[in-house]
Amino acid sequence: MNGPYGPNRPPYGPTHVPRPQFGPPMYGPPPPGYGPPPYGPPPRPPVHFSQGVHRLHMATAVINAVGVVVIAFVLGGYSLLVTQTDSGIALILTPKVIARFLVVMLPVSAIAAAVGFWTWWSLKFWIAGDDLVVETGILRRRNRRVPLSHIQAVDVVRPLVSRLFGLAEVRVELAGGDQAETKFRYLGRPMAEQLRAELLARAAGLPGHTPEAPERPYWRVGFGALLGSQLMKLPVIGALLLFVALLAFGVVFGELGVLAAALPVLLGLARGVIAPLVMHTNFKAALSPDGLRLRYGLMETRMQTVPPGRVQAVRVVEPLLWRGNGWARIDVTVAGYVGERQALSSVLLPVAPRHVAIQMVGLVFPGTNPEKVPLSPSPRSWLAPFGKGEAGTDDSLFVTRRGRVCRRLDVIAHARAQSVRLTAGPLQRLLGFGTVHIDAPAGPVQVAAENRELGEARAIVESAAGRADRARATDARSDRWAR
Amino acid sequence: MPPGSPSILPPGASAAPQQGPPLPPPPAPAGPPGPSPVPIGARAEQAFDPPSGMTWARVSPRLTWHRRIAVLLWALPVTIVGAFVMSRTSGLAGGLIWLALVLVSCGMGWIIAELTYRSWGFAERADDLLVTHGFFVRHLVVVPYGRMQYVDVTAGLLEQWLGVATVRLHTATAATDARIPGLPARDAAILRDRLAQKGESRSIGL
Repeated sequence: MNGPYGPNRPPYGPTHVPRPQFGPPMYGPPPPGYGPPPYGPPPRPPVHFSQGVHRLHMATAVINAVGVVVIAFVLGGYSLLVTQTDSGIALILTPKVIARFLVVMLPVSAIAAAVGFWTWWSLKFWIAGDDLVVETGILRRRNRRVPLSHIQAVDVVRPLVSRLFGLAEVRVELAGGDQAETKFRYLGRPMAEQLRAELLARAAGLPGHTPEAPERPYWRVGFGALLGSQLMKLPVIGALLLFVALLAFGVVFGELGVLAAALPVLLGLARGVIAPLVMHTNFKAALSPDGLRLRYGLMETRMQTVPPGRVQAVRVVEPLLWRGNGWARIDVTVAGYVGERQALSSVLLPVAPRHVAIQMVGLVFPGTNPEKVPLSPSPRSWLAPFGKGEAGTDDSLFVTRRGRVCRRLDVIAHARAQSVRLTAGPLQRLLGFGTVHIDAPAGPVQVAAENRELGEARAIVESAAGRADRARATDARSDRWAR
Repeated sequence: MPPGSPSILPPGASAAPQQGPPLPPPPAPAGPPGPSPVPIGARAEQAFDPPSGMTWARVSPRLTWHRRIAVLLWALPVTIVGAFVMSRTSGLAGGLIWLALVLVSCGMGWIIAELTYRSWGFAERADDLLVTHGFFVRHLVVVPYGRMQYVDVTAGLLEQWLGVATVRLHTATAATDARIPGLPARDAAILRDRLAQKGESRSIGL
């Protein structure tokens, strides 16, 4: 690993990944599609985004224009083609009809082409110093400066349609609100890879012409495991049973009305099983100095890069039925993803053996082991006869574990805590309990130790605040991570 | 904490350098001293005591009046509309019952306004700001200065009229909810500037 990323940096994470007895094969012999570095040198002389002003791919103009034309056709164009006859409406292509159609659609197409071209022409981006500058706007020019050191994640997304044309979309995520995302839609695929690599290199504090950071494959989720993991969930099995029962009932008693009830169940199943299945097919995780790289997707392929120190909190989820196989899933909070994008990008590992998941947590919070953190159960009471989970902390992590059916392990690094809160409702105060929240930025993972004894809770708050201070002081600054 | 009860703190925690003991020895509560075996209610309050050696900075008593006037402003249209509808549908008795209900809720609001005002407090430590509030649900928020993204001061019409303002700290998460209402406007501006300055000097990004 000699090179611009420093001489012989200690490998990012444990060097030895034990081969599990079950689950998909580790990267033994690389599978055919994944052998040579997939993002190797681009065929053409590489573009340096650090120099000069750049535009999106030309095809963007065409795609924009075609989109407008299609919308115009759907909204009104097609009605010009059909004629009202005695027997209803029919498609009769007389010259008059075609002329009528062309008179409307030709100007619309021309305008669409012009607007598409103009939009494409007016979007320019370049790198100025430590900022990425994006200039947009047809009538009113808008100039956005993105400080590279604040980048939270860079995604390369390739929707199905754009894959046909060899295009890709680059999304640069920043912390702070729904507007904080910068999209480049669309770039040629090599260009997109190059832009991603350059943005990350510069965000890490390296010169822009640094070659793509080397990566080390870490884990690959096989289709069988993914399918099994999606099916082996209590709600899914329940819905399947319900569906089969409804069908059987309908067939046996000849009541077709039952099918009307079965259909929503089927739709729900499709949404709950097939959507994540399609989304996470070919899931591959790799490690590189510029962060954790995730690639996945069947229809729409995504390549996420989460730089070091950008993961705010993680949750290791073990549903009841997965525990027999020792499987776990990792959900994650990354500050850049907000709203809809959060739901899309909240999974760090859809399914993996538990020890791999735990190891992964050790990778996103380097030098820690969530399993080693001593946990203590919360006291039992009539309010919570089984207690409310366990919590524990060491100098770098705060860990809570809860849930009997679906076991969840929430982990946040003290260095990432935004604030620490202690709350106690009236009932809790009656019992002398309080809940300690370690606040992470908005996301799927919120860490809270519920129903702790109040004196202990206050001690946790104080120690967490103190640890957060020290952790942040010793934590290498998370921007410019390669320096 | 009774001896022998499981502690969440790892054994080596106390060895680490720390600003003060992990659990501040609870100073005598501000109110009348309780009986010597501390009842659970008071023990609950101790968890929300100020950090050792400090006292809660309190907000202006005008906050009480702000709440009370707000309650009245809400109650007025509710009373008129409700009494009108009730007297139309169920006669004079209905209207009177409605009036009584509103009066009782106003009275409760009146008292709760005072209790809520008393529950507010904040303390500026070397590295973080502590805010406590809440009468029914007690809250204690610790925000490190370095985590503050920005601080703002807001004052609604009523607040302006009363000469108070709300200082609000924003971090990267909305869950933080660190606000201090009912500060005299001048104090609020001073506090905002001081917090912003501290945040600036300790800023650490995300």
